[in-house]
Amino acid sequence: MRLILLAILAMSFPAIAREDMPAKAWLENMSQALREQEFKISLIQLQADHIRPLVYIHGKVNDEEVAFLEHLNGPPKNAVRVGNTVTFIEHDQPAYSVHSSRIQGVIPAALADDVSKLEQGYQFVLGGRSRIAGRPGQLVRIIPTDTNRYGYQVWLDMDTYLPLRFDMISVDKQLLEQLLVVELIVLDEVPAILKEAYKQEWPAVMSQSDRDSGEDWQFSWLPAGFKVLIKDQHRLIGSKEAVEYIAISDGLANISVYVAKAGEAPLPEELVTRNGLSLATERVGNAEVVAVGKVPAETLSRIAKSIMLQ
Amino acid sequence: MDKLGQEWVSAAVDGEVDEHTLAELAADADSHEQWRDYHLIGDAMRGELPKTMSLDLSASIMAAIEQEPAMLPPQPVVEVVEDINEPVVKKTSNVIPLFKQFGQYAIAASVALVAVIGVQNYNQETLVESSPLPVLNTRPLIGSASPVSLQTGAVQQNQSYTNDQVADQRRRINAYIQDHMLQQRLNNGVNIDDNSEVDTTPVAQ
Repeated sequence: MRLILLAILAMSFPAIAREDMPAKAWLENMSQALREQEFKISLIQLQADHIRPLVYIHGKVNDEEVAFLEHLNGPPKNAVRVGNTVTFIEHDQPAYSVHSSRIQGVIPAALADDVSKLEQGYQFVLGGRSRIAGRPGQLVRIIPTDTNRYGYQVWLDMDTYLPLRFDMISVDKQLLEQLLVVELIVLDEVPAILKEAYKQEWPAVMSQSDRDSGEDWQFSWLPAGFKVLIKDQHRLIGSKEAVEYIAISDGLANISVYVAKAGEAPLPEELVTRNGLSLATERVGNAEVVAVGKVPAETLSRIAKSIMLQ
Repeated sequence: MDKLGQEWVSAAVDGEVDEHTLAELAADADSHEQWRDYHLIGDAMRGELPKTMSLDLSASIMAAIEQEPAMLPPQPVVEVVEDINEPVVKKTSNVIPLFKQFGQYAIAASVALVAVIGVQNYNQETLVESSPLPVLNTRPLIGSASPVSLQTGAVQQNQSYTNDQVADQRRRINAYIQDHMLQQRLNNGVNIDDNSEVDTTPVAQ
């Protein structure tokens, strides 16, 4: 009981400072909380016609971050992260590990990273407060500085700074995707499952050595804040088609650009799925440039048109 | 109040008039408001305003309350009361007298009241719609763009291409999108400067 009172006392002091904290400071606190706190969140991911319930557990074992993500519906689909290694355990394939600082696919990695990296493409604006998952939440809008990308809204728990809700919003303010926490539990000690995960032997990280370096592709135009992450040559999974690959990102929005031999039937010029993922194609001679990513199709189209060989 | 009069009051605020003029000002009830406003402006410019300042809405609110008939009219001001069934009318009319009675508090507590009215609206909607699947109501409304199975492009061009070509097109779109998703997993590492040969990797969802 005394401990709880002490905790409340300790929390009430930062609460005063919280009143005039700028939006960026909120995001920085969230980033830190995602990396350092021990917690379990149950959340649902809403996409056009999909609702996926998930559980995410995060903690620290021997000073290393350990996290566990489980899809609760359908065939088992889990991911475990120990330090900088993420292992995907899925029903239809052998488990494999990749080198990664976050479990990709649920909470955007950028939210746990240095938020100032996002400042070139987005502005942070403090919004109102509302109650989410039974907790008081503070809204921080991540507003795009141009119409080349989508906007985001994140609600943070006012006690722990952990995210309670994350929305992706199209240029005309339609909700594209939502992560909604239904329960947030702050843990006092590392849960057994994370200790187990830490001890477990996971498959070795897939070899990154046998890749072919790609051609020196350049872009005559990229939206502000977008940077080329990776260029390589590989074969598409599934179709085994050889492609030149360039990954570009502004931190939150990731775009893949492929250059390949054009197929028999031309691909549609622009294509938008209901969860915001778009695809744009530009045909150049007997090659086609395909750009894929969660940004407006017009942006992809412009990027595909602006690629050139140096 | 004309311009000349305003200057006169302004001078009085700055203490540039004699006692006789001040007495005249005290007698002139019309100028009192000006007198107060000039002091307020002066305080604001010197940065001497208190942190919370009553903008003296009380008088106007009191007047508004007095003008209000003692009984509430059958059609309250809030628009939500139209075309709804009886239990909801009762609920909403509970809110309105509260609003009137505590006119002064209503300003400070306006946020809370908005929340209350909002909840009332929400309840009413669910009553009216009485959807059998409340869970589905929480789903975001998303425009009816093309489905994730990506048929749009193919369907549009159906006439000019054979089924094989359409299938091929769809297969290639899916291949690109799958590869994009897998790349997100691979590219996320810190300081990765190279990438794996993807045809050896397992298929990601």
